[in-house]
Amino acid sequence: MSSANTARTPFEPAMLFKAVFLAAIAILVLVPLLATVLGGFKSLGELRVNPFGLPRHWEWQNYADILFSGRYWQLLRNSLIISTLTVTMTLIVAAMAAFTFAHVKFFGSSMLLSYLTLGLLFPAATAVLPLFIKVRDLGLLDTYFGVALPQVAFSLAMSVLLLRRFFKDLPYELLEAALVDGCSYIKFFRYVTLPLSRPILATVGTITFVNSWNAYLLPLVMLNTDALYPWPLGIMVYQGEYSSEWHLILAFITLTILPTIILFLLAQKHIVAGLTAGAVKG
Amino acid sequence: MGVAETSLSSHAVRGPSWDGRFTVLILFLPPALLLFTLFVVLPIGEAAWYSAFNWNGFGRPTNWIGFDNYRFVLQTRAFWLALRNNGLIIAVSLAIQLPLALTLALMLAERFRGAVALRMLFFMPYILAEIATGLIFSFVYDGDYGLVASIWRAFGAEPPHLLASTSTSMLAVLIVIVWKYFGFHMMLFIAALQSLDKSLVEAARIDGATRSQTLRHVVIPLLYPTIRLSVFFAIIGSLQLFDLVMPLTRGGPADSSNTMVSFLYNNGISRMRVGYGSAIGVILFVICVTFAFTYKRWFMRNE
Amino acid sequence: MRQLGRLGLAAAACLLGANVALADTTVKWLYIEENPAQVKIWEEVARAYESSHPGVKIAMQFLENEAYKAKLPTILQSKDRPNIIYSWAGGVLKAQIDAGVLEDITDQVKGYSDSLAPAALAAFTDNGRVYGLPAALSQVGFLCNKELMAKANVDPAGIKSWDDLLSAVKMLKAAGVTPIVVGGADKWPLHFYWTHLAVRIGGKAAFDAALRGEDGGFAGETFQKSGELFKQLVDLQPFQNGFLGFKNPQAVGYFGDGKAAMTLAISIVYHLQRALAADKVGLSEDKICWFDFPSVAGGKGAPTDTLGGITGWLITKGSPKESVDFLKYFISKDVQARLAAGNFLIPVVKGADVGLNNSFMKLIAANLAKSNYHQNFYDQSLGPSVGRVVNDVSAEIAGGSMSPQDAASAIEAARKQGN
Repeated sequence: MSSANTARTPFEPAMLFKAVFLAAIAILVLVPLLATVLGGFKSLGELRVNPFGLPRHWEWQNYADILFSGRYWQLLRNSLIISTLTVTMTLIVAAMAAFTFAHVKFFGSSMLLSYLTLGLLFPAATAVLPLFIKVRDLGLLDTYFGVALPQVAFSLAMSVLLLRRFFKDLPYELLEAALVDGCSYIKFFRYVTLPLSRPILATVGTITFVNSWNAYLLPLVMLNTDALYPWPLGIMVYQGEYSSEWHLILAFITLTILPTIILFLLAQKHIVAGLTAGAVKG
Repeated sequence: MGVAETSLSSHAVRGPSWDGRFTVLILFLPPALLLFTLFVVLPIGEAAWYSAFNWNGFGRPTNWIGFDNYRFVLQTRAFWLALRNNGLIIAVSLAIQLPLALTLALMLAERFRGAVALRMLFFMPYILAEIATGLIFSFVYDGDYGLVASIWRAFGAEPPHLLASTSTSMLAVLIVIVWKYFGFHMMLFIAALQSLDKSLVEAARIDGATRSQTLRHVVIPLLYPTIRLSVFFAIIGSLQLFDLVMPLTRGGPADSSNTMVSFLYNNGISRMRVGYGSAIGVILFVICVTFAFTYKRWFMRNE
Repeated sequence: MRQLGRLGLAAAACLLGANVALADTTVKWLYIEENPAQVKIWEEVARAYESSHPGVKIAMQFLENEAYKAKLPTILQSKDRPNIIYSWAGGVLKAQIDAGVLEDITDQVKGYSDSLAPAALAAFTDNGRVYGLPAALSQVGFLCNKELMAKANVDPAGIKSWDDLLSAVKMLKAAGVTPIVVGGADKWPLHFYWTHLAVRIGGKAAFDAALRGEDGGFAGETFQKSGELFKQLVDLQPFQNGFLGFKNPQAVGYFGDGKAAMTLAISIVYHLQRALAADKVGLSEDKICWFDFPSVAGGKGAPTDTLGGITGWLITKGSPKESVDFLKYFISKDVQARLAAGNFLIPVVKGADVGLNNSFMKLIAANLAKSNYHQNFYDQSLGPSVGRVVNDVSAEIAGGSMSPQDAASAIEAARKQGN
């Protein structure tokens, strides 16, 4: 663990092995990704003979065609709308519930908490058929809410647990003092708890956003008009249309994962902390 | 959940703010409970209900057939294949992915130049959407244009169509799963390693333990909680696999790479056999819940 | 004074109402056509209709074949569903009619429907009520590549019996040519072999009897034999490398690229292979040959029996009446003649076949006219659930993971389970 501190000779065989191993894994991770990005710059024929290397001739047209078509931006816009709806609703609803669980002692609170925890145990996929029927009966099929509401419901369990833990960890004296001063619970929630909870809200928001942004099954079942498709559905339709024209498909894939990668590079620490904290605390 | 709660709850406020609490209770709690009940709990109950009918989704279910759907499911070869595949995914996750993640975590937890960059690189596959990963690898594996085909041709051989063969399709899927998720588990371990009490490791060293002995007898035991958590996530995640399989193989060829969820989709939703699909969902639910309860009871007793 | 006010309001309301009535009606048209040349003509027809019918917009949406079949059940349940959808008729159509998701357009097509070939219209009629309109006919048979066949000294005209086909495959393999290309990933291209064998072995009588559950239903002798003969072919390994991973468009492109000698396909592939080939040119007319599916010794089917599709369009429930209007416009003598001239389809409107200017298309049209028994694709005619089982088992026989007997039993079991 602390080998960095002790003096060692430059070429430790263990170090060499470690370097080679890490390099190998790095290559295995990078190659598919790079091939995808570069593939979009090649023509189909060149892709077949030169899949790994830099394009001999940079076909900007593939990327340009996609960027200039309305389709790509429509897909991103739909994804953004659905994900934003999901995150907003999740944060509001979960924060309110978590606050109640954290500070209000009432009969049945632990039972209700266990009830919510059930949601962690099984995936949305198991109930997707009845969910479809229900969304249809509510008239929400082919609407953004038809996708967002179930997503919110399924992320409640994790979100409430995380938020509740954080709320409880806040100094209790604050609440005591506020109540003594005659401040209502609700005011306290709005003016004290929420502002202090920025980190955890950001964490929960990030997890929820990434899960919703990448979601495929739920939108696949609930949405049928391509004008509403988020990018995971859009990319599959594109692939169905251009089946063997890999250079086009790879360009499309690159452009659709680009937002995720940019977001990741900008908010690395946050995303990692969020996704792993969710796991560790859960 | 933990020890801290009891001391806090003993401070529960009573007295004049009961009204305030009541307002919070009836305002703040119902939305969550309503959404959760409506979209999570009820559908599972309805799945059990619909599974007793032969229904194609239009109108109301009218054709009661009792447990017949379950009988049909258990008689379908594709179901057992899907179950086997989920088992394979779990096995591979535990036997290959976790050790790999742990090894990498041990290597990268220290601070050396490039460690953080490597960590981010390895974590990147995890943040990509499963659907995008599946598509990328369907290109990689393509027997004509793919990277694999290219390598094969470089050696002068006819490239295999990995995704088109019943014997290799699952193998191909498993490789993609490991590629995608090892980074997540690695980060879990790194977080745990970094919050380890270094003094214990130092103590072992002072007592004369070698590196591998320290590893085996001090570090890893300290990591047990995280390992257990990692296993838990790996298994729950494995049972839900769908997005990855669809672009790669759609569950084929001949159902050889179906997972429980893709089997549900192909048979329940695509063919609108709501009763049959619900039966599959119920079976999957029972598996998930049984696993979760058993696991929590046996392995995570302090949770 | 108040009266005047009320009158004014009423007038305003009328104006508003009139404005609303003048607002655009959108007709949503969902299609699966992959040939851009044909889609282009469709778009022109749509625009022409729009200009002659102001206030109506035709919105076209594409979905790939397999994705369409998978999503259709959910699409039909949405209140935003498309108004015009593609159909292969058969049991799937019947299931849709029973579910009440289609519009009964019998009255709206009275008179017009006389212009259509009766057999074609019958495919879209149930109990005397019409739910959609046929648009094209097609036949399944073997398309072949003249050069590659010649390379192996195989004469396509000489392939008359199943055994002839098997020897042809052997000779092609010996000459180093990939005998057959098939889109195994989509499964339905494989089911053509199995079902066409059944058509040859048992003819119409066997199919009808099986539907009634007689003679062991689909587990009966005819269907077991189909599987066995299909297995004979499979055992020769006639397909291209990795055939189970090829989607149909890929397979058609493969044929268009001249990489395989034969493919058992729908007659439209003749034209489609040009659009899907890598060089977008494909095989020219003089390089393509055709032969009907071979007969089976001792088979009860007539050599004129055909397997193929009667495809068309359905109107979904609650669609604006402009949808039917547009459909009649689309399936009219002029448009059909135009599409026939482009060799995109075999028309269903009487008299439109004068547009067929290609010997191949004329041959198919003649085959279809001669046929007394035109079997619709099993995976559509048997209904959504049983049909897919036929596809599944065909793929399994092809992949070597299921025996012909088990395949037949599986289909019979699915038929008993019902849809």
